[in-house]
Formats: sequence, structure tokens, C-alpha cells
Amino acid sequence: MADGPLIVQSDKSLLLEVDHPRAAAARRAIAPFAELERAPEHIHTYRLTSLGLWNARAAGHDAEQVVDTLIEFSRYPVPHALLIDVAEVMARYGRLQLTTHPTHGLLLTATDKAVLTEVLRSKRTSGLVGERIDELSVVVHPSQRGHLKQVLVKLGWPAEDLAGYVDGEAHPIALTPLTTPRSAGEEPSEWAPRPYQSQAVEGFWHGGSGVVVLPCGAGKTIVGAGAMARSGTTTLILVTNTVSARQWRDELVRRTTLTEDEIGEYSGAKKEIKPVTIATYQVLTTKRKGVYTHLELLDARDWGLVLYDEVHLLPAPIFRMTADLQARRRLGLTATLVREDGKEDEVFSLIGPKRFDAPWKDIEAQGYIAPADCVEVRLTLPESERMTYATAEPEDKYRLAASVPGKNRVVEALVAQHPDDQVLVIGQYVDQLEELAAHLGAPLITGSTTVRERQKLFAAFRDREISRLVVSKVANFSVDLPEASVAIQVSGAFGSRQEEAQRLGRIMRPKQDGRTAHFYAVVARDTVDQDFAAHRQRFLAEQGYAYRIMDAEDLPAV
Amino acid sequence: MASSLHEAPASATRRFAEDLRQRSDTALVALLRARGDLAVPSPATLRSLAARASSHTSLERALAQVDALVLQVVEAVTAVGELRRAQVAHVVGAAHGAEASSAVSQQIDQALDVALTAALVWDDDGVLRPSPGLEEVFGHYPAGLGPVVQDRASDTGQDLAELLRETPPEQRAVLDALAWGPPAGRVPPGGTRQRAAVDALVAHGLLTRADAQHVLLTREVGLALRDGRTHRTPALRPEPAGHDVAAETVAAESASAALELVRRVSVLRSAWADDPPRVLRSGGLGVRDLRRLAAVLECDEPEAAFVAETAVQAGLIGDDGEVEPSFVALDEVWSELDDAARWAVLARAWAVSPRTPWRVGTRDEGGMLRSALSPDLERGWVPRLRGAVLRVLGGSARALSPDDVVAALTWEAPRNAPPETAVRGLLSEAASLGVTGAGAMSPPGRAVLAAMHRDPVAASGAASRERGDRAGAGGDRAGHRPPPASGADPLAEALRAVLPEEVDEMLLQGDLTGVVPGRPSRALASLVEFAADTESRGAATTVRFSAASVTRALDRGRSAEDLLAALARHSPVPVPQPLEYLVRDTARRHGAVRVGVASSYLRAADEATLAGLERDPALAHLGLFRLAPTVLAATAPPALLHETLRERGIVSALEGPDRKVLDVRHRREGHGPGRPAPSGAASRAGRGRGASVTGPPVRSEPDLSALVAELRVGGHATTPASPRSRDGMESPSSPASDTDSGTQPHADGLALLREAVRDGLLVRVDMVGAAGKLEQRTLRPLRLEGGRLRALDPARDAELTVAVHRIARVAAPDDAS
Repeated sequence: MADGPLIVQSDKSLLLEVDHPRAAAARRAIAPFAELERAPEHIHTYRLTSLGLWNARAAGHDAEQVVDTLIEFSRYPVPHALLIDVAEVMARYGRLQLTTHPTHGLLLTATDKAVLTEVLRSKRTSGLVGERIDELSVVVHPSQRGHLKQVLVKLGWPAEDLAGYVDGEAHPIALTPLTTPRSAGEEPSEWAPRPYQSQAVEGFWHGGSGVVVLPCGAGKTIVGAGAMARSGTTTLILVTNTVSARQWRDELVRRTTLTEDEIGEYSGAKKEIKPVTIATYQVLTTKRKGVYTHLELLDARDWGLVLYDEVHLLPAPIFRMTADLQARRRLGLTATLVREDGKEDEVFSLIGPKRFDAPWKDIEAQGYIAPADCVEVRLTLPESERMTYATAEPEDKYRLAASVPGKNRVVEALVAQHPDDQVLVIGQYVDQLEELAAHLGAPLITGSTTVRERQKLFAAFRDREISRLVVSKVANFSVDLPEASVAIQVSGAFGSRQEEAQRLGRIMRPKQDGRTAHFYAVVARDTVDQDFAAHRQRFLAEQGYAYRIMDAEDLPAV
Repeated sequence: MASSLHEAPASATRRFAEDLRQRSDTALVALLRARGDLAVPSPATLRSLAARASSHTSLERALAQVDALVLQVVEAVTAVGELRRAQVAHVVGAAHGAEASSAVSQQIDQALDVALTAALVWDDDGVLRPSPGLEEVFGHYPAGLGPVVQDRASDTGQDLAELLRETPPEQRAVLDALAWGPPAGRVPPGGTRQRAAVDALVAHGLLTRADAQHVLLTREVGLALRDGRTHRTPALRPEPAGHDVAAETVAAESASAALELVRRVSVLRSAWADDPPRVLRSGGLGVRDLRRLAAVLECDEPEAAFVAETAVQAGLIGDDGEVEPSFVALDEVWSELDDAARWAVLARAWAVSPRTPWRVGTRDEGGMLRSALSPDLERGWVPRLRGAVLRVLGGSARALSPDDVVAALTWEAPRNAPPETAVRGLLSEAASLGVTGAGAMSPPGRAVLAAMHRDPVAASGAASRERGDRAGAGGDRAGHRPPPASGADPLAEALRAVLPEEVDEMLLQGDLTGVVPGRPSRALASLVEFAADTESRGAATTVRFSAASVTRALDRGRSAEDLLAALARHSPVPVPQPLEYLVRDTARRHGAVRVGVASSYLRAADEATLAGLERDPALAHLGLFRLAPTVLAATAPPALLHETLRERGIVSALEGPDRKVLDVRHRREGHGPGRPAPSGAASRAGRGRGASVTGPPVRSEPDLSALVAELRVGGHATTPASPRSRDGMESPSSPASDTDSGTQPHADGLALLREAVRDGLLVRVDMVGAAGKLEQRTLRPLRLEGGRLRALDPARDAELTVAVHRIARVAAPDDAS
């Protein structure tokens, strides 16, 4: 114990010294119950949370294991109160269970009379449960299964859902060993899921429902396809936007026995319902006269599996709809459990506990993600622009700073440094992007670009017909551009953590020749732009990326 | 045994006194030590000692001090009346024969010895008898046994055991219900079978009628039903449940608590140095100030109150003696001490503190909220209870829960059980201080206990000295806390032994955080404190660098290079580029806007005029310096600048804040009012912190021996005044010399009178008569209450009532000769 790699703080953070000989063992041991919070170069910070500990319980770990692990790897004696707390929190999971009774139907049963009584006395459970059968069980209305689970997590007594799932309509799906060509000239090639992808599928299937956490570029689509093959049923896939929906369709056709005819798209443009249906969040959350108009989709078929892409972005109305889908298997896919709105507990209660998690850096080390070099380029504003900025209204300051004309020259210089790379220029403001596109002579994709046009440009970029592309935030999510190896960000959405992960994800796909990816952020010095950049810097450094700051003046040819 | 009768009271009292007389000097010293109240004020004779020892007050006091087992033994002897030593174990409920473990009988034996030493029980040629007066102390039903009725046997002439054996079941049920007390039962309504059974029992003399509605089980029958026992089981010392904790855990928890408290006190001091909170008129800290303090200390309010109280007790915080007093940091020595020495200062202050901070936030009888640091929180019994709590903790190597401690303390003094809230309060204080770790006493805690044990008087002396010191707020405080003896401070050493090793390196990372993987060395701690913000504390410290924190370091006069060099020195890895960039970038911006001091300014459109003035040697005293080509600033006030310039022939105009020209004659110079000299400090400082009595009167061994020698000769030698006046404990009513003037200590006289009332004895009373002359009468006291004695004068065959204060002296008739 005297020289372990782990320091356990009384505020429930765990500090892991990366260079310690036993660091890898410690990381594996604590991963099931602790959430990685920061992973900079020397010491990684994990955190013990109630949800994390319950996730561990759901995965079959008990408090004793957790306590033993902490004690085994800790350098200093572990705070006593923390150990007690771990045991108490973990003991809360599974005291309540949702089960199916042959005659009473769905039941909430408790191993402990007091817990059930406490929970039933709460106002929040009233209306969700029916008649009390005996001291240890109470009837649950099947329609309230999700709501009840949500409430129980909030009350601190998460229920273990053992009530099982409907089988759903069978529909055979299998992964193909050879890819199916999608365009003329493409050759079928051999492929197989990566080991961690198979593990993720197994982890999910054994757990019933839940979330698989994989970094961007680690092939979450394939995990989804694997889960569909395992399930062999009709599947509803919920994705963030139309472009992403089409990429899902392409990937499924390429790697599974599904044909285009079996896959339907349910979006603003098309309303197809087929054995595998891909719907966007947006169409589901569309309301007309205060009513969700497309809710019938959820019951259109007897879905055996519901798949959620980018769970961390799942909008609140979909949570509510999901609450009614508790009898179907649910798989969430995401790069991060962290939600900007703090609704991690809803993901836990409605989609399910975390079933698989692989630290980003580990996957990178296995060579599946390209290493990245992150550089913040600080641009000193000329005198006149500083004056304009200093006297601007507060609400205009960010826009002014983010779209200063000087950035064009910096982008130009950066692009010039990467003549042979596929370069993406990403920004927030359309007029700035238009100017940049003109400056660089590169095509531009914004929200107003048609889907057809977008797909054409993305395809051209993928095929290296064009090497420069200027995109607005439409490119943030689920657009697969594996060939991009340089991303230059000129303005962002106020330093959002998610956005950063997504943008980095764009260039994180493994490169054919093992080249290093580059991520540049161009920032106006001494402005709010720089403050937002500080958030991004923190996020990237916490993710363990090498991060440098340089002055624009040091770039050649500026 | 059970049927033995109680002796006639008079002879019992006399024989008790005789027993005392026959005790050895050592035994008497032990008695006086066990019952401190018997020696203060000094009794005149052994007889009055015996009278005092059997007085109600003294017995109550003595019983309040004994543990549950001693109490049980005393109660058993009292209930039974007389016992042989060998019977005691059986009577208090110990198992018989082979089952009776020797440990149990040994404990009971020891308890009996304690009772004998304290003269609660006395040994009458092998028969144990209760001290006179105990019957009344234990009330009507000692050990739940009914009254002694002496004539049962004579009534029926039947053997009791036989009688009980023959009792029909219905009657037996009644007896069994009353057997273990309370011995009083309600008579069932007439005509029922139960009534018949009760009546039969009364007829057999097994029950006796108390009144029309109640019957009593007599003591003799009760004892017989209980198989001669007074208690079911002996009240042995409870084994505290507790649970095991690893010694390393205890040490580590204790060390981290100790460091955290020291840190909090430091934070408190610097917070209050910057912004001293007002002292309430009632002398405490306002609710809002306490809440603010809790926020600064990152803890809850009770903990914040404890930190503040401890800091005040240690003399680190005090009021500043201003007219509207505030709490300010005192004692600069603190900043020069290391963590362990700082902790020792706090621990020492806590050990003798009479404060009850756990009551902060509760309301007093008047419904007023008790505020932190208020004089109202002082209670004299706190140090004694703290000692008891620590002794219980110290007696176990395991972790004890508050319930365990309360149970142990209750066993130790069942008739004087400590309030549970106080015990819990003290336990949580002990945990905050690191005296306990994970619920078990820690090595530093044992050092505190040892220090309290070694030198309780000196410790409390130090405390009152400190308090005296505080009375002279603002005076020389440098030497107010004497370093204990010579060499290393045992308290600080004890903490040092459990503190984790210091770490002198910090791992700097690209996300602008740094991690000190252990307890930082002082140099590192101070670097971290002013150059970064702490994010997580504990075994390790995580800090974050930000523009604000780096600015703080720059404000302290560090340069960027300096700071980077210091960071590089402490970091085993190169300083990450983003951090280096941050420091340099912050330094670049630092000082871009500058603030300086000037009292007035001078502006003119003509640069040449100003240039001339700036260099004019005759104006040097104005401290003119140029800020811009057309602006000069001056250190001299505006009026002086204005006048001087006029004298030089420059017609200047005065500007107001609105830049309009002012009329100079209506303006006064801009000095702030002089602060009044501190006053009223002395008058206020003493308030509320006066009480310093922290324990029972303590007499030294030689003192007690001398007293015993005096008692032997009959108390007529003059008591040397010095040993008693030294501790300052005697009651003011006691005259300096109590024997030569014919008066005697009041308490002794009263004790003799009470004894006489109880036993129906004659006493000789010297009293001041109606004419103001001293007269002597032999009286049979009947009642003593309300400051009056009612007595029968057998010589005149008349009753009289005398005010007690008129009685000068009381003596037994046989003493009088």
C-alpha cells in the first residue's frame, strides 16, 4: 500500500499517477466505478459519483471490491468516511427491483421494508404505483416503468430493472465479412469488428439495456450494427440529423446483410417506416399545436431494439418518450456521459447504466485514433480593431472578436503549412466563413446548403478531389470525414466542451499513413474569444492532448 | 442475613464515627481524597467529620462520583442493612460457584473497597454496614425493595421460606409481580379472586397494607423471593462495542484533521485580518458573520464556530479594543510556527477550554439565539467532562461510537450522567482536532490526554493566565504562551510523528493544474498558496493556475521569471508550455493600468509652464511629478498646492470633482479624522471570560496528612492558614481561624445538628440568646429546615425555635467536657 499509484482524496476524487509502474493495473481496477474526469499528462483525475458506483453495481461489482481496490492501490490511507460512503451508496442499488409477476404483472419489490415504505411515502411516486401486494412489493403500472425509475434515482434508491423486454419482431441481421461497395470503383474489402467493439456489444447484451461510451472515431456505428445483429429484430435508430442518418444507412448497408430496401429514413424530408428505421431527433420533437406529431413512429412496429446515437445530446422530450419505451431493449452510444445540462441521471434511469467504457487515450494507444497536436494561435489585434472591440456593446463582443479580419491571414498561413493535408476550416459565423471560403478558394457548407450538395462535397473531400473545405457547425456531429487531418477552428460556440470533442472527433479517424492530426484554434488576444479558448484548452488538455499556445506573429508569411 | 434487623440509629451513628476514628491515617487520607468536600473547609474533629460524611449533601455528592457497580454494592448493603464480605457478590447478582468468574468477583471486591474507602460502607468487625444517612439518600425503596417490617415473624411464628413454598399459585403470582420492584401494588377491587389472594397474603404477613388502596411487599419477603439478592446481575463495566480500525487509518485521519484545522485557523486569521467582523453588544459573533466564515472555511456553521472558538481560546483572535470592537487576529508568533507547533497551540488551548461551541445556534431560556464566541457559552464543567471523554477513548484501542462513550460515562457516574449533547459535541471537537481519527483515539490525542493528566492545574493556570493577558488587549503578547518546559513540545512531536512525509515537488500539467502528491513542504505550500487556487485537498493537493492566481503572485512582487523559476524548481517535469505562456502573458498585462498616490493635481494647457514648475526647486516640497505632458500630480494637499502657487505668483483655480472651479475659502483640508486612541479595552476585555474554576477542589497529599493529624488531636490546634488560602477555595464564610474563638465551621455544626435530628440525640448548643448574650443549652433537635432549628429543651421541657445563624457552636454532650 505504501507506494501505490492512486491518491484518494476525501472529496471523492482519485488521483492516478500515470507514470507509476502499477498505473495500468490501477486504471483497469478503478475504471468500472470511477468516472475519468481529467486525463492530462502526469496525473489523471477520476471521480466517485453515486451514478458511477451504481453503474458498477449494475455491472456486478460490490462495495467490498471497490473498497479493496481503493485500499490496494492507494498511496496513503484511504479516508475512512469515504469508504463508509462508498459502501452506503452501493448498498442502495438493488434494494429495489422491478420484476414481472405471473399474475400481478410489473412489480416493484424491495429487500427491505423500510426502503419501500420510504419510497412510497414520497410524493413523487404517487400515481406511479398501484396497490401494495405485501410488505415488500407493490404493483407498478407498466406505462410508468420509466417514470418510476427516473423518480427512484432522484430519491437515491435506484431500482434494478429485471422485468425483461419484449422480444420484438424478428428480423435477421448479420455482419458481413466483406464490405458491400457503395459506389462505383469501390472494391469489397475484408473487415471485422475490433476487439473492443465486440466487447462493447457483449457488455450491452448481457446488461439488457444501457450505454456504451466510446470516443469519437472509435467506431460506434459498428457497435450499433453489432448490437442489431445480436438482437436480430426490427430496430429503431435515433440520430442527431439527416446527414448522420444517411451515414448510418451507408455504414449498415456496407457492413451488414441489410439492403437499402430494408432501411427506412424518417426525417423532415422522408417518412419511411421499414424493419430498420433511422429517425432524427428533430422530427420526433417536432410539435404541431402543442402535440408531438410523429409519436406514432415509436409504436409503428414492434421494435426489438431502440438505438440512440449521441446520447449526451438527447433532447429532453425524447427522454420523456423513452420513458414509455422501457419494455424494449435500448442501446445508447456516446463519446461522453457528461451532459452540459447535467441530466446524466436521466440517461442512467431511462436508457440504462453504462455497459462499456474505454478510455480515449487507451484506444489511441491501440492505434485506432490518430494522435493529435492541438495548437492555439493567438492573434494580436491591430490598434483600430482593439478600439472597436473595447467600445463595443457586451453582447457584440464575442462576435467581433471571433470574426476579426486578421484571422483570415492566419488561416491562410496555417493552410499553407499543410499543402498535402485534407484541411477543414470550421466556424460559427456564416459571413466570416463566406469570406474565408472566398479567401482560400474553398467550397463552403452551411446550414443552408442542401443535403444533396453537402453529400456531394463531403464525398469529394473524402475522395481527395478537394483538399480544403469550410464548414459551419452543421459539421459538428456525425459527419464522417476520415481523411481530414487538419482542422482549423476560427470561432466556436462559447467554448462548449461537447463541441470541442466533436470537432476533434472529425480529425481523429486513423490515417492511412499514421500521420499526426492537427487541430488549430485561432483566437484574438485579450478578448472574450481568448477566455472561451481557455475553456477549450482546458478540455483538450484534460483529455490528454498535447496543447500549445503560439503567437500568430511567429507563423511564417503572416 | 435477610432477617437481620437494622440497628438503632443512634448507636449506628456513634459506631460509624468510632469506625472512622479507628481507621489508619492512610485510610483517612484516602477518605478525604475520595470525598474532597469533607476536607473543605477543614472539619474540627473526627466526630464532625463523621457527621459531615453522613450528611445528605455529602452522601449525594459521594454517590454522584461512584460508578454503577460501587453504587450497586452500596445500595445492596443499604437495602440489606448488614452483609458479610463474602455475601456481597451473591447479593448484587453475580452467578454462583464455578460460574462466578474470578474477574467478576474481583471487580465486585474492588467496588466494595472503593465504597469502604469512601466510608459509604463501613466494616463492623466483619459485618458491612451502610453509612448512616444512606437510607434517606436511596429513598423509600432501595433496590426496589419494600419497607422493613419487623414483627412478621413474631406474628405467625412460621418459617418464611416454608411459608413461601406453601403459597398457592395465585398468591405466588402476586408476590412475583412485586418481587423485583416497585414493591407497591394496588389492591384489586373487592370480591375478585385477586383480592382474595392479596388479603390472604396480608393475613400471612407477606404483604403489608400501606394505605386503603395499596399493599407493599416487605423487604424481608422481597429479598427471600429474590433469593437473597438485591440485583439480578452485577453492573459490571460495560465493554464498549466499538469497531476495529487500522492504526494507520487512525493516524492518517488524525493528521489530516489536524492539518485541516490548522489551515482553517490560518484562513480565519487572514480573513478577519482583511475584514474584521464586529463584536456583538452581547459579546459574540453575528449570525451572518458566522455564515460568511463558514463559506470562507468551506465547512458548515458548527465547524466554523468551533474553529473560531478554538482560535480565540488559543489567543489567536481577540477583540481589538476599539470603541466599536471587532474580532481581529492577534499573536504574530503563529506565522512563524510550523504546522505541528501550530496544532500544539490549538490542542493545548482546547484541552482546558471551558467553552461549549456545540450550543451555537440553539436558543437559551429567553429564546435568544446563542451566538458563537459569546460569553454565554462558557461552562465550568467542560474541562472535567472533556477529561472523562478522553479517558474513555484513551482506554480503548478501537473506534468508539458516541453511544459507546455515553454508555461508559453513564456507567462511571450513573447518578451524575453527563448530558449526551455535550458528549457528542466534545467528540466531534476531538475529531475536528485530530485527537481522534476514524473514531479511535490517535497518537496525538494520547499526547493531549497525557498532557492533561500530567499537569491539569498548570494547564488551567495557563489558560487563566492567557485570559488575563487578553484583558490587556494590545499589550505585549509575545510570551503569553510558555513553551512547555525545555526541549521539544511533546504535543507537536506527537503530531509530527503521524504527519505524512513532506513532499517538495509538484507535477505541473498542460491543463494548468498542478498536483502535489502528498503534504506540501512549507516553501511549496506558500508558493502554491499565492500562485494558484486549490481545487482539491486531502492526502494530495490539486491546484489550478489561472490569470487571477498568477496576478496574485505578481502583486506580491514576484516577476514572471521568478515565478517560473520557482515552479521549475519544484517540478520534476518541465513547466508545460501553456503554463509558461499563461505566466508570461499575465505578466505582460500586469501593470498595464497603474494606480498611484497623489493628493492633488495640476493641469494646464501649456506644457512649458508645467515643465517649469516641476523643476522649480522652491516647489520641491510639494512633491510634483508629471503624469502626462499637461498634467502634474502632487503629494501635497490641494489647499497647500494652491496657496504655494499663489505665493509664486501663479494664479491657479481649484477644481471640484465635477471639474468646476471651487471657492477655496469654504474648503477644509482633506485629512481624515484622527482615530481616537484605543480606550475602553480594559473595561470590556474581562467581561464574560472570568470563570476559571475548572475542577473539584484539589488538595495535595501532605496537606491531607496534616489535616488528618489535626483531626486526631481533636482539631484544637490552629490550622495553618497558608495551605488553604493558596488554592483560594474555601468558602468566604469560613473564618481564618476556626477554633480559638469558640465558633466552628458552620457546616460542621449543621451536620451535627442533622445527625442529632436523625438519631434523636442530645446536643449542647452555644447560641446567642435574645439578649445578645451567648448561652449554652442542651437540646434535642427535632427539625432543621429553612434556616431554623426546632428543638426540645429537656431541662425546661419546652420546644424552642432558633435561627441557625444564632448558633455559634454545636457539640455532642460527651464532647463537651
